Amino acid sequence: MTGTLRAGLVLGGGLVLLAIVGPWIAPDPLAQPDLITGTLQSPSATHWFGTDQYSRDVFARLAAGARASLGIAVGAVVVATLLGTLVGLIAGGARGAAAEALRRAIDLLLGLPRLVVLLVLLAAVGPLTPLSLALVLGATGWPAIARLVRGETLRLRETGFVGAARALGASPLRILRRDILPGAMAPALVAATLGIADAILLEAGLSFIGLGIQPPAPTWGGMILEARDHIASAPWLLLAPGLALVVATTAATLIGDALRHRLLPGTR
Amino acid sequence: MSTPLLEVEGLVKHFASGGVLRRAAPAVRAVDGVTFTIAPGETLGLVGESGSGKTTVGRTILRLETPTAGIVRFEGVDLSTLTAPALRAMRRRMQLVAQDPFGSLNPRHTIEASIAEGLLIHQITERVALRERVAALLQEVGLDASYASRYPHEFSGGQRQRIGIARALAVEPRFLVCDEPVSALDVSVQAQVLNLLMDLREQRGLSYLFIAHDLAVVRQVAHRIAVMYLGTIVEIGPARTLIATPRHPYTQALISAIPDPARRRQRIVLTGEPPSPTAPLPGCPFAPRCFHPARDSRCTNERPALRSADGHGVACHYAE
Repeated sequence: MTGTLRAGLVLGGGLVLLAIVGPWIAPDPLAQPDLITGTLQSPSATHWFGTDQYSRDVFARLAAGARASLGIAVGAVVVATLLGTLVGLIAGGARGAAAEALRRAIDLLLGLPRLVVLLVLLAAVGPLTPLSLALVLGATGWPAIARLVRGETLRLRETGFVGAARALGASPLRILRRDILPGAMAPALVAATLGIADAILLEAGLSFIGLGIQPPAPTWGGMILEARDHIASAPWLLLAPGLALVVATTAATLIGDALRHRLLPGTR
Repeated sequence: MSTPLLEVEGLVKHFASGGVLRRAAPAVRAVDGVTFTIAPGETLGLVGESGSGKTTVGRTILRLETPTAGIVRFEGVDLSTLTAPALRAMRRRMQLVAQDPFGSLNPRHTIEASIAEGLLIHQITERVALRERVAALLQEVGLDASYASRYPHEFSGGQRQRIGIARALAVEPRFLVCDEPVSALDVSVQAQVLNLLMDLREQRGLSYLFIAHDLAVVRQVAHRIAVMYLGTIVEIGPARTLIATPRHPYTQALISAIPDPARRRQRIVLTGEPPSPTAPLPGCPFAPRCFHPARDSRCTNERPALRSADGHGVACHYAE
């Protein structure tokens, strides 16, 4: 195992652990125990990361936010990868006008600014649950994967071993399954892992502008939004979710880079 | 002469370029009317320079490309009349040994998976007997049976070419298209693979279409030789006569390039490039490079037909 992969797994594993064990070691993230004297307390033994303006425990909210943010990001990437791989295989495997139309459609979707599409979609979807947010993020993330898979499918289709499989009498579906899908999945997996970082930041950004999961449910982006008014007096409110975002995106990028070295040797 | 195993009649393959939104460029006439037959047990050598269309002939016969025109009959069956499933079933009878030993094996599959592919597709061997069958095939092409569990990157070019041959033989074909099977290999390894192909032909009664650009290689294995130039056959005949008494100027130039320690031949050096395959000439395709003393305006205006005598055909107005 390379140092890159180890570092990524340690960082990412720490956050996943935090998300899983959070409910057992931290207080209720929604509880407001003391609105008179318990607000904006600095970090201490009882409140590891301090409390916010509603006297809620920041560590508990960070752990619950990890659960929401990581879950949504991973869910979004899974949806995007499945959709993108399916569309990419069809676009690369088909011939003629249909394939051309699909390619144009992918390029068109890639050309639209993702945030604008998201705003429209989120407005259409209405009240958000973590699941629907993951689906919406996934629905806007697949064209990048589709283009990768399409390109790889086109390349693999011309290889000698696909020609040999056709000469042996393999059906198109068999060739797709045995010779093309495994090869095309490698770049898709790398892109998906790197895409987790994007999805985390996108979800935080949406929550920050008030379009993600609605308060009082804790998310990292929402926590940053609520910390704005107290940056000077209670910087831990901003630092905790901010650092969590840095750690999460760094972990996803490191793991993605390590995967690329493993699955796609020769690329940088 | 017995009924031919393979009959190719007026085969044409043009590659169109351009798409929905692009202006269509003139089609590349890769194969422009090719006719020949191959008898059971016979090897036809197909030689020609890069771009002469010899690889496309092989791929079109195997239906890896759909011909633009012409008929390919295998064992008397016109392949264009077959449905897709019937064609896949027919593929058992005719196989490909490809040029590139590095690209022709899937790097993610073990040797066993590659060789067993055809056995599984055509349900030739019970799953329990697969391993044994693959081992026997490996031994038949001169490889150790223990190689089955390894991956392609662990093998040399010659070994991979043997693996490719084993994969083709697995489905027990009668006919192999060998597309430059040795041109990617070192000279010492070339001879080994050629010998293997000749042994297999003997033992299994195979017929080959043996495609190569190197006449010196082809004359070792082929019973008959066809010389291609710019999508057409310019000369075809028994290997021995064609090499000894080439009648087409292009063939004469090719043969003069084979080193021969016994006789010092005058080397014929062709000048210029073959004309563009997108804009065919009205006359003989070889006319712009021809050195025949009798060449005249007829050569540039009228395309010579392939004239046959004693099974030796030549497409030249002035061949003696």
